[in-house]
Amino acid sequence: MIEVQHLTKRYGSHLAVDDLSFFVQKGVIYGLLGPNGAGKSTTMNILTGYISATGGTVTIDGHDVLEEPGEARACIGYLPEQPPLYPDMTVEEYLRFAAELKGVRRAERTSQVEKAMARTGLESVGRRLIRNLSKGYKQRVGLAGALMGSPKVIILDEPTVGLDPAQMIEIRALIRDLGRTHTVILSSHILSEVQAVCDQVLIIAHGRLVAMGTPNELAGRLEGHQTLTATARGEAACVLAAAAGVEGLTDVTLTGEKDGEVSFTANAPAGSDLRGALSAALAAAGCPVLALGTAAVSLEDVFLQLVEESAPEAAAKQAAPEPPAEAPEDSARPEPEDRSSEEENAE
Amino acid sequence: MIAIYKRDLKGFFTGMMGYVLLAFFLAVGGLYFTVMNLMSGYPDLSYTLYNNLFVLLVLVPLLTMRSFAEERRARTDQLLLTSPVPLWRIVLGKYLAVLSVFGMAVLVFALYPLIMSRGGAVSYRQSYAALLAFFLLGAACIAIGVFLSSLNENQIVAAACSFFVLLLAYLMPSIQTLFTVGSALAMGVFLVLAVLGAAYAGWHSRSWGLGLGVFTVCCAAILVLFWLRSAALTSAFSSLLGALCLFSPFEKFVSGLFSLSAVVYYLSVTALFLFFTCQTLEKRRWN
Repeated sequence: MIEVQHLTKRYGSHLAVDDLSFFVQKGVIYGLLGPNGAGKSTTMNILTGYISATGGTVTIDGHDVLEEPGEARACIGYLPEQPPLYPDMTVEEYLRFAAELKGVRRAERTSQVEKAMARTGLESVGRRLIRNLSKGYKQRVGLAGALMGSPKVIILDEPTVGLDPAQMIEIRALIRDLGRTHTVILSSHILSEVQAVCDQVLIIAHGRLVAMGTPNELAGRLEGHQTLTATARGEAACVLAAAAGVEGLTDVTLTGEKDGEVSFTANAPAGSDLRGALSAALAAAGCPVLALGTAAVSLEDVFLQLVEESAPEAAAKQAAPEPPAEAPEDSARPEPEDRSSEEENAE
Repeated sequence: MIAIYKRDLKGFFTGMMGYVLLAFFLAVGGLYFTVMNLMSGYPDLSYTLYNNLFVLLVLVPLLTMRSFAEERRARTDQLLLTSPVPLWRIVLGKYLAVLSVFGMAVLVFALYPLIMSRGGAVSYRQSYAALLAFFLLGAACIAIGVFLSSLNENQIVAAACSFFVLLLAYLMPSIQTLFTVGSALAMGVFLVLAVLGAAYAGWHSRSWGLGLGVFTVCCAAILVLFWLRSAALTSAFSSLLGALCLFSPFEKFVSGLFSLSAVVYYLSVTALFLFFTCQTLEKRRWN
């Protein structure tokens, strides 16, 4: 659906996106995850054609964003970080305007506007001025605007920023719902959001893709093992011996002993599930199991680890005096008078 | 394009802006019309319009200041620039919206010769030719204002820039007579222009070679002219200033002539500044 190859964006001497390549499949919800300033908004702005890349190509549904900008942009509905709303228009007027901009035929405009309003729960505010709406409703109006023209891909830049928890949950449910009919790309620096909403996660740090996969895959990638925690009744020595006897379990460590209840942790290889075996072994040793669970590695751990891993390398690269080879001959030469404004534009 | 046109035109009249500006423009125009045509009985609208030109200095900056500056400030340009509408149609849509507001006032002015005809013979041809020229002059001023609005994020700054540029163009005939330049000074000015042109070319194409090439060619041409026919430089300088006198071609219509060159001049200025606007917006994508 979307193919991004060797995407590079340079603001003066600052490298906002550095040789980013990825592929987006149809009908999947993608999450761009990264700390602030990682290049998420820049990437999205390039995908939607708002800004142009310094190097690399982006094709959307077979249309290159530079060579066929009209066709490429027609495939995309974009909700920028700050929804592009005109405060002096009513919700209905705005959506009609957005539909017309997207080239929706006159006959279909009304039905499309009504459909989008129903989908985003805007029916009750259709005649109100956008100026007077709450932040949550404004976000929904922006989202409804992005749905105009039934684009194949919907790109949402930090769609839940600044919303209260209830609104966040609503918007997330809406995004999941959109994912059934559209390809969705959203960016976020909130891990739980990406974990809850996205099928595929792309982790970006310092303008580069550091990892890609489902949330579970990424969690599994982090370490070579998972951790089991268990509590059983019996003698500590007896319990630990039974646990150590289970094939695959290593590093059995006593974490607490109280009133004849023994708690311990043990490491198991990644992807294995040794809970059954451990439970059976403890039962056979005459130590009834009281509690047993795996401590799943959260995406947060993966995220922090990956971001930290990539940091020194990227910093070294940025400090390097000569520009990377793929930059065109003279483009690395910074324009002194423009640099300040360019850096403001960079995330 | 039509969507943008309709939105912008409506935008003028959802607030006070459109009404206030139109009222102001019509009040001043009506005042001159009453005094000159109705009370003094002057049977030609062109002289009235000529006296009205200074209103454009105030009106046009206020009409055009929002155009692109406000879109950029409110980030609504993201909606426009990521839509499948080509850039030139966005610019044209926004330009035509401003032009339409101005056109409404001109339409009211078009009634004046009809009112005058009740009092005696009126030279319709001369009056409407002058009105057309007035409209085209306004169109050129608006194109300049829209361009300056696209350069700024702040509408007040955009309005101030437009005002000063138009004021400069308005005063250019007097400035032109102030400078009685020698050929050496003219050469100096042209060399500075050559440097600016070369710097722009080099910067835009991101190639030093092209910039230097442009500079060398320009310098050679200027120096050759200076040695061979230094008077040509002086007159070129004077006609360069003359080309910046945006308001003076209108004067021909006041003396009762239909000047095709003035029409072409105004249309070219309009096209040129709309092109510059497109270039500015396109350039911003690449920054």
